[in-house]
Amino acid sequence: MVKHREEYLVKRNTCLMLSAASAAVIIAAQSAAAQQVCTSDLKILAQPQTGLATTESFAQEFRGLSGVGFQVDYLNENDRRARSQADASIIGSYNVYYVDEANLAQFASSGWITPLLDHYPAEYDFDDFDPGRRATATYDGQVWFAPITGGGDLMVYRTDIFSAAGVEPPKTLEELFAVVEAIHDPSNGIYGFALRGQRGSGANVWRWMPYFRGFGGEWFNVDGTPAFNSDAAVRATETYLRLFEYSPPGTRTGSWDESTGAFNSGQVALIVESAPLGGMSLNADASNVSDKVAFGIPPEPLTGGGYAHGFAIGTRGNASAADRDCAGLWIAWATSKENELRRLAAGQSGELNRTSVFNSPEFSEAFGEALPAALEATSAVTKVNFWQNEKWPDLGNRWGIILEELITGQRTDIQDALDELEAYAIQITAN
Amino acid sequence: MIARVIGKATLVFCAACVLMPLLWTLMNAFKVNADLLTPVPKFVFEPTFDNIAYVLSRRSVFGALYNSLIICLSAVGIGLVLGLPAAYAIARYPNRITREIQFFVLSLRFLPPVAIAIPFMVIWLNLGFYDTRLSMIVTYSLITTSIAIWLSIPGFQSVPKEVEEAARVDGYGPYAVFFRVALPVAMKALMGALAFSFVLVWNEFMLALMLTASNAKTLPLVASEMSQQGLNVPWGILNAAVVLLSIPPLLLLGLLGNFLNRAFAQKRR
Amino acid sequence: MNRQSSLPFVFLVPTIALLAILALTPTLYALSMSFTDRSLFSPDFNYIGFENYLQLWSDRRFLNSAVVSVKWEVITVTGTMILAVGLGVLMFECASPRARNIYCLIFLIPVLLPRVCAAFVWKFAFHPLYGIVTYPYRAITGKPLDLLADPTSALMVVAFVDIWQWGFFFAVIIVKLLESLPPQPIEASRLDYARPWQIHFYITIPMLRAPLISLALVKAIESLRSFDLIYVMTRGGPGISTETLDMYAFSQGFIESGKIGYASSIAVFMLILTIVAFTIIWKKVNK
Repeated sequence: MVKHREEYLVKRNTCLMLSAASAAVIIAAQSAAAQQVCTSDLKILAQPQTGLATTESFAQEFRGLSGVGFQVDYLNENDRRARSQADASIIGSYNVYYVDEANLAQFASSGWITPLLDHYPAEYDFDDFDPGRRATATYDGQVWFAPITGGGDLMVYRTDIFSAAGVEPPKTLEELFAVVEAIHDPSNGIYGFALRGQRGSGANVWRWMPYFRGFGGEWFNVDGTPAFNSDAAVRATETYLRLFEYSPPGTRTGSWDESTGAFNSGQVALIVESAPLGGMSLNADASNVSDKVAFGIPPEPLTGGGYAHGFAIGTRGNASAADRDCAGLWIAWATSKENELRRLAAGQSGELNRTSVFNSPEFSEAFGEALPAALEATSAVTKVNFWQNEKWPDLGNRWGIILEELITGQRTDIQDALDELEAYAIQITAN
Repeated sequence: MIARVIGKATLVFCAACVLMPLLWTLMNAFKVNADLLTPVPKFVFEPTFDNIAYVLSRRSVFGALYNSLIICLSAVGIGLVLGLPAAYAIARYPNRITREIQFFVLSLRFLPPVAIAIPFMVIWLNLGFYDTRLSMIVTYSLITTSIAIWLSIPGFQSVPKEVEEAARVDGYGPYAVFFRVALPVAMKALMGALAFSFVLVWNEFMLALMLTASNAKTLPLVASEMSQQGLNVPWGILNAAVVLLSIPPLLLLGLLGNFLNRAFAQKRR
Repeated sequence: MNRQSSLPFVFLVPTIALLAILALTPTLYALSMSFTDRSLFSPDFNYIGFENYLQLWSDRRFLNSAVVSVKWEVITVTGTMILAVGLGVLMFECASPRARNIYCLIFLIPVLLPRVCAAFVWKFAFHPLYGIVTYPYRAITGKPLDLLADPTSALMVVAFVDIWQWGFFFAVIIVKLLESLPPQPIEASRLDYARPWQIHFYITIPMLRAPLISLALVKAIESLRSFDLIYVMTRGGPGISTETLDMYAFSQGFIESGKIGYASSIAVFMLILTIVAFTIIWKKVNK
């Protein structure tokens, strides 16, 4: 059973509103003296995050700071990528874009977004963000976005199922296969593992890359020629497809939502997913298994997929320096420590990024010792798995479609599939 | 006799095939996730109005509703002003040229939307009208005008020539005959044609997807965006958005049913 | 009636001129873009002649999408016509005129529903775990049924929704057509103790041959607008099993790589094919 999240949201929001109102009064009083940074309402393109909804409910506070309101349009990850790419390049109808590790190179090198720190008020303390996320937000020596979420990979498993089956959390991929085989029991509604099958450089390819990199795969040979059809790629794909036999229905064409949803609703025994799942699975409002999960690092040789998503200032949508200051103010406000603490109070651990928040007593109170320790441990295996290049989104999406064909059984020849990817890589790196 | 019973049962089953999914969606709009995401469908539950309230409180939904109304009504208005006279001319002056024109108007429907959406996007961008209600109205008036012409021709043809002759004898000029006689007589049939063109643009998706970004976004786009957000969004909200989007076309149901009856009653004569 | 009057010119010329401008400008623009390597992301482009068109023939996704489009046309047109004729005859035979009117109103609903809504309604109904359509299967076998994730069934499910929208609508038209037929031949054959299906198979349907062909043609034209259903239900997936030409053109132009020149060549290919095919067929049928 999924809990009544909407009801909960409404109740919580009323409490939040009250505190927001009082905060707004104070801030409005402060900023009345200061000059108004903004002249018109801001438009933000984002992908849905529970923590953002909390921030949105404090819109009055931002109005007090800036004198304007804002509107957030939500699109799912793949659509957000496609839409922001088209919008940032030629249209410019949004002031703030949601960018991620995979398209940062493309956005920054094309000039679609503006370096952040020139327009980021110093008092919001950018250096407080987790160093890993700051590094991901940096490209070509400049910082481009302020993180809203990020991290590496975490192994999350069900203590009840593991102890019933008498198995230990796997440390290697061989053990993983053994464990998954032992606990997989679909006739009783328990699936051994969960993966993402949906196309996309940030979807199925994202979960596939730890295997590719873990098996020693490199995107390019030493001489700079593409190596997308290497033995490591073949092995990774074979392994990925084998593991899919244990993944619940809906995940073959699903992504993060479907596989974490399956885990949180209690259908999955073991999962390796992006780190925010950790806190989500502990949150009784989002998870039915909050009292029976434990954490670990991804089994060897998997590399955790290091990532960060965040907000960047659109170049086209903000013509003047004042407009950029305004967008920068919104970004600073939305990712501020205050807003992170509010998310923490609401149990939304996925959208926390600041060292001071991680080290706060509230954090350990909310999540105990196990999750912070696992997050700490997993950062050791976290790597940049993808090819950091402006052409990566195009190439990654191409592989995503081919991989989806393999996963859904539309094609079976793995070598042939990777050769096709290789040919495409050669084609787009040539010009 | 048994065949008749089976036949009637099949008809009832077909009607259920139409109504059940819609009633189900309507019910889901009033459910919380816990009642929605159940392995066994739940018919008895405690209704919640949060979903509808959420949908109606989103600025994007409200803006899109406004956009959809303005764009569709304006495009239908243009279709009316430009299309009805053209349809009358085609109906009253049947010759080779008007037949060709009639075919040209129909052939506009052969154009694959994707083939005009991509260039329209570039054109509106170059002109600086991309993502405005104006550009959407102009683009949609291509659809409404051609459909209004196509569907109004039979309506004008059904106006008895004797009535127009009589008016002419009374000293009406050709324009007065159109405005004072043909238009009022054919009005009921024409309403159906306009209603059809409204439904077509209200439901239109692909052009809106490519030609708007945020300012002129229409309701089908926002509904589709909501429905694609995945499990992070309560499903009840999606159902509520779908219900909201479906109401206007369904309000026209009676009008359109009448239009069909009239069109075929005429054939019988 | 043939008195000289300025009315036809005044009423026709501005409207047709506007329609021609609105339709021809983008079509010609698409044609010109299809000869370029234009990208969504940069204002600069080169004319590259027929290179895009040549590339189409070695692009397996293009060839696949052409096949999917043809399959889509065939499945939805035949499915719609079978449902419409069957249901139309059934209404004519089994329902009283009063009941018929009510059925006609009900069967009009699906086509009025925004396709985005129809797609969503059925996508949720076919949900492997929570769907109401898959429920009986789950209840009996205890296993989930994920038809939209299976390349062999996904296209059929989407086509089902399309047929659901159009088949019922056409059934209403067919029942009206049957009502408009002269009653004498039907009465005569009833006196000969012909069975109802024989009457319709040998007498009424052949009498309606011309309007039925027109209906099939209208459906074929409307089936070109498959994009919204596919976009909401499958995005062309799983893999590329439901990727039609317009979906693929959209993917190329907007989702994946921003190649609007290449996407235009796909669109132009589709445009020429449909205009030529439908013009020939339409003129032939309406001789």
